This record gives sequence, C-alpha cells and structure tokens, in this order.
Amino acid sequence: MKELLDMDRRALLQRALLLAGASVAVSGCDMLAGSGNDKSFAFQADQFVLLSAVAGTIVPKTDTSGAIEAGVPKTFESLLRNWASSQTRDKIVGALDRIDDAARKKSSKGFSELDEARRLELLKAHDVHALEIDPDGTPVKGSNPFAPVGPPQNDPGYARMKELIVTLYYYSEAGLTEELAYEHDPGVWEPSIPITPETRPWGGLGLF
Amino acid sequence: MFDAIVIGSGMSGGIAAKELCERGLKTLVLERGRKIEPGKDYSDSLQPWEVSTAGMVPEKDLENYPVQSQCYAMSSANKDFWVNDLENPYTTPEGKPFSWIRGYHLGGRSLMWGRQSYRMSQMDFEANAKDGHGSDWPIRYDDLAPWYDHIEEFIGVSGSQEGLDQLPDGKFLPPFAMNDMELIFKDAVESKFPGRKVIPARVANLSEAQPHHEELGRATCQVRSLCERGCSYGAYHSSLSSSLPAAERTGNLTIITDAIVHSIIHDPKTGRATGVRVIDQNSKVGKTYEAKIIFSNASTIGTAQILLNSKSEAFPTGLANSSDQVGRNIMDHVYALSTAGIFPNAPDTYYRGRKPGGIYVPRFRNVTEDGADFLRGYGFQGGASRMSWRSSALGQPGVGVELKERTRKLGPWLMYVGGFGEMLPYETNRVTLGKGKDQWGIPIVHIDCEIGENEKKMIGQINADGKAMVEAAGGIVVSQKTEPGTFGLGIHEMGTARMGTDPKNSVLNKYNQTHDVPNLFITDGSAMASSGCQNPSLTYMALSARAAHHATKFLKEGKL
Repeated sequence: MKELLDMDRRALLQRALLLAGASVAVSGCDMLAGSGNDKSFAFQADQFVLLSAVAGTIVPKTDTSGAIEAGVPKTFESLLRNWASSQTRDKIVGALDRIDDAARKKSSKGFSELDEARRLELLKAHDVHALEIDPDGTPVKGSNPFAPVGPPQNDPGYARMKELIVTLYYYSEAGLTEELAYEHDPGVWEPSIPITPETRPWGGLGLF
Repeated sequence: MFDAIVIGSGMSGGIAAKELCERGLKTLVLERGRKIEPGKDYSDSLQPWEVSTAGMVPEKDLENYPVQSQCYAMSSANKDFWVNDLENPYTTPEGKPFSWIRGYHLGGRSLMWGRQSYRMSQMDFEANAKDGHGSDWPIRYDDLAPWYDHIEEFIGVSGSQEGLDQLPDGKFLPPFAMNDMELIFKDAVESKFPGRKVIPARVANLSEAQPHHEELGRATCQVRSLCERGCSYGAYHSSLSSSLPAAERTGNLTIITDAIVHSIIHDPKTGRATGVRVIDQNSKVGKTYEAKIIFSNASTIGTAQILLNSKSEAFPTGLANSSDQVGRNIMDHVYALSTAGIFPNAPDTYYRGRKPGGIYVPRFRNVTEDGADFLRGYGFQGGASRMSWRSSALGQPGVGVELKERTRKLGPWLMYVGGFGEMLPYETNRVTLGKGKDQWGIPIVHIDCEIGENEKKMIGQINADGKAMVEAAGGIVVSQKTEPGTFGLGIHEMGTARMGTDPKNSVLNKYNQTHDVPNLFITDGSAMASSGCQNPSLTYMALSARAAHHATKFLKEGKL
C-alpha cells in the first residue's frame, strides 16, 4: 500500500485525467515555448547507438519483445523530429549524453560499449538519482498538456526521455500485443471479468 | 429563396435542419467551416501505433492552439477538428480568461462532444422564478418533455430509469453497466448518504442500435472510446452521423460550407428578417441568401456576434436586441473540480472494452440536502478503472525487467468524481464586439466574464462532497483539484440570447422566437435562461425540435 501512495502524483493525475474522458479536464495549459521543429533532425550514428542501448536497457527483451525489437529507437527519433521543439529535443539529447558521461566516468567506456549487466547497473542508479525530486527546482509540466505542474526532478530531461521511450514501447504493436492486451474494436462491454494468471492490463491511446 | 436558413451545422443546427426538412421546408444550412466526410475524414481506424507522434500534438503546432490544446479531447489524431486560435482571434480582459473551444467544420462540436445527455427538470425551469435570478423561463418541464422523448429516441441515449424528480427519466437504450468498483461506490454512497444516487452515465452512444438508427447507417457502439476521432460506426450522435443524414433524405436540404455568416438582414418595412450575408472563408467573396425563416444555431458566442453585428436603424445595438440582453448572461458550468482516490480493498476483477461513460451523481444539494450558503447545486460525473500501465511503469523509478514485470500487473482501482456546478446568469458577464476585425472583416468578439460569489461558495462544498463520497467507498484520496477550470473549458457556454416572458429583459419567447423579429428563431445555447447543472446539449436539441415545429406551424398559418 505504501508503494501505491508513493507513486508519482503526476502519473496518477495523468491517469485520472485520461480517465476523465469527456467530462473532467484540468485547465491551465501554458503555451509551450516552442522554437521551430527541425524536420530534418536525425541522430548521429553514435547517438543512435547510445539511444538504442539506453532504450534496450529501460525496456529489455524478455519473453516478449523489448524496446529494440519494438522499433522504439526509430519511432523515438521520429518523435523528436516531428513532435519535439528544438528546446525539448536539446533537453532529451542532453539527458542521453549525461548517461554516456556517467558511464565514461565510471568505467572509461561509453554506455553502449558496456555489457548488458553493467548497463543495467549503471542506468538503474542513474534513473533513481535523475527521478528524485529536487525541492529547490522550478516546478515543471508533464508532457501531456493537461498534466498539472509537478515538483521538478533532478534531471527533467531524463524524466521526459524515459517517459517517451516507455510510452512508445507500450504504444507499439509489440508492446500492445505481447506485453499488454489491446483490442481496437472490443465490440461488447463486459463490466466484470475474472482475473486469471494470463490477464494483462489493457493498453491503448483511448481515454479509458 | 429558401423556406428556412439554419446558421450552423452543429448540435442544435443539425436538429433544427432535420426537423424543418422533415416538415417539408426547403432548408439551407450554412456552415462556416469546411466540409467533413464521415468515415473518410475520421481517424478512428488508426491503431495506437499508427497514430502520429504518439497522440501528442506537435509542440510547434501548439503555438497555433494555445486555447484549443487545453481541451482534453484534442490529440494529434483529431487536430484538424479544432480551430487555429491565431486565425480565429477573440479578446478577454486582463485577468479574466475565457477558453473558447471551437470546431469550425460541418457538424461543429457535435463531432467531438462528450455525449453526456441529461434532461433538465421542473426544478431547473422554475429556479429563476423562485430565487429571482435571470429571466423566468417561459416554459416548464412539461412543455419540453415530449421533445426530450423525441430527441432521445432519434439520437439514441443509453441510460437507466431512476425515477428522480431532479433528473427526469427518458426514452433510453439500455445503460452501459457499471464496473465492480463503480458498483461499490454506488452502494457506499447510497447507503451512507440517503438521498444521493449513483447512476450509469447517460450518453448518446447506441448501446443497442434500433432499426431507425440503422436506416441512417448507424451501428451499435463497439466500446472503443475513440469517439473524439469521429466514429465510422456512427455509434454516437453527431450532426454527421444522424441529424444531417436524416435531413438529407427528405430531399429538402441544401448545405453550403465555408460560408461565414456576417450578419442577418432585416427589412424595417415588414419587421422581418429577409436573409443573411455570408462571406466565403476561402475566397472572402460576399453573398446573400434569402429565406422566410431564419434559425441561428451558431453557438452562443457565434449567435451573439452575428446579432450584434446586424445593426440597422431599427436595431442600432444589434438585431433583436431591444432588451439589451443580447450577448449578456453568458454562463458555463463550474467545472473540473475533481477528486481522485485509489481503493486498496476493492475486488480484484477487471472489465473488457472501453465504455463511453462512467457514472453520474445527480444533484442533491438544495434537493435532498441543504446547500449550505449557496443557491442551486451541482452534479458529479465520474468513473472507475484499474490504474493503467502508465502509472505502473512511470509512477516510480526503475528500469529493465523490473519495470516490465510490474507493468504487467494490474494497477489498483482508481475512481474520480468531478463536479459540474450551476452558474447563475449575470448581466455583466457578456460578449461584445471589439474594435478589431478578423480576416473576413467581421468584428472580433470580446468576452468579459467571471464566476460570481454563489459559484465561489459552491467550490469548497463540491470538493468536500467529492472527498466524502470517495472515502465512503473505501478510497484514499490521492488528488483533488480545488480551483475550477478556466471559464469556458466546461464547453457549456450558453445564455447570450435568453428566453423569457418579458420582452424587456429577454430576447426569446417560449417558442425560441425573438420578441423583436417574428421569423428569427434561436435554438442554440444562447436561448438558455439558466444553466442547470446538467450537460446542456440534449436541452438545446429538444428546444430546436420544438421551435422547428412551431416555426413551421406559424409559417403555414401565415403568421410569419
């Protein structure tokens, strides 16, 4: 139970907002300070390798596809090209670079050059520190425009990058069909079904 | 020369057009936006992984949508259903924001609406007369009841029969049943707060399509919850799925899109409106259309703008504005005061499908329980679901197998309730024409409004009641929004040409006919003399059908 209460309020609120569907939304969207999109954006080859290593560590292949198998590095690159302002993109690329820097400091190797176990060890520690609340920082908004302003984390760029990688994975065909469950046209509403060992959470973009 | 012109093709205009066409009137519908073709222009077939930029509106584009992007229903999958705010400006005073959510296209906001459909009750129609706010409604519940029946049957509303005076039952399709957490909430609230009821949301989604729906090409709701992208099944009511197709099949309908109404033409000799001036939104070329009857269904701010811009010697402050009430009394609902809780002891069950509505708590303040120090009251909408993969994955640190494993597990039940509070009509809350003009040469509107003392008094009680109900059901409140949403974000703006018994303080009579111009009818949200706390679209549609009936009758009797 304690674990539930400690959950990041923003994620919770986002869920509450998504749930709210047609009826209850939260107001207050600051216009994002968007500098121009760069439609030609692409990662440098070494950055793409680094991104793939990070994405594959956050969501690894198990008995189901991981981020790599689900094509997340490519869709992430496309998201930075087609969705992100250059400001957002710089923040995210900076967060990636900091992971690489941390690896080099610890082991004199780039993150992507480490073996899987070392990557996991390093990123796990990096993740905990990056997502810690910074009590002195300026409050930030979530990526969902309706997300309320929340306390800042030590590394907001990392928080955003991780959120996007994880989201792209669970929105991917592999994520939705192998890891979660998704029916585009359920057809019938069943208000109560039993849970079995095979039951998986429903995924999807929908409001409910 | 048409028999009738309907300005606007949205929720109320679609119904007005249908009802006029079905009564044999050659009817012209003028839509300021572009044509939308059902199915072809919908994005509901896209799988989640096919939706561009993960459903998020590109950050660069948000510069064009500073207001529209505040609406929960906007995503990259339906971005084109919302107006570009920069191209469609309006002004507000410093410190008094108003968020005007708009969709300029055939079908208007009926394409993206929330579909919640509730009747107003006798209590609501009597409220102004009883406490002296606003104008007395010139109709009572019984006047509108048969028209509610008529609309509910036509559009298809799913709901349960409850026998509540403050929220009358109707001609409903079967409700979408509550899930297990919602049932627990119902039991707890109804047993701990006698007089409160928790009922399935009443939504304009076809839980079971009937033959008269299928004749229009509509099918049963597939519980996809993709409504805001447009529904290729036609399973929720919109002008595109039902009212305009019904109008079309009479052979009496003409639709002209891209036609922005500049003003209504008035002939001082006859005292009648003779037609409307329009401007093509693309070519900017002007044109005039004439008709015997005019219905304004341009939405409450749009209608006020048109009337105020229709100045003449006879009406120097705007058409049908001898009362000086046009543009005044704009209301929305006190909105977005939501309380969310998680329920650690709820049953470990699940559901299948994404139903189109959750639960509704009909108004109980100043009904079965006192309203502390405020007049009128509020209802709650809400719903329960298991918290999603998003919160499991991102709600706490962790990467790798650990993240995947915890995300595979179902989250706890989360339930939220959000209040919708009735707003009183204030003459000082008003829409006027500003000094600047838009690219079509039409004066842009200035919207000056704020909530009043009565609404402010409600806020604390809405939150206290929301919290108490969540806790009564065993919930731990994890978030509560204590500031209402920006005025306008309820998207229930209404009241700028109110109905009333007295032509001196109202614009419309009991037939939605302007007191000043007998062949001019207004049946969009403008007509509302009070806001109730119910989602108002159903009432606009019932008023539209009723007014179309009377307008046709008067025309045939030679009274117009």
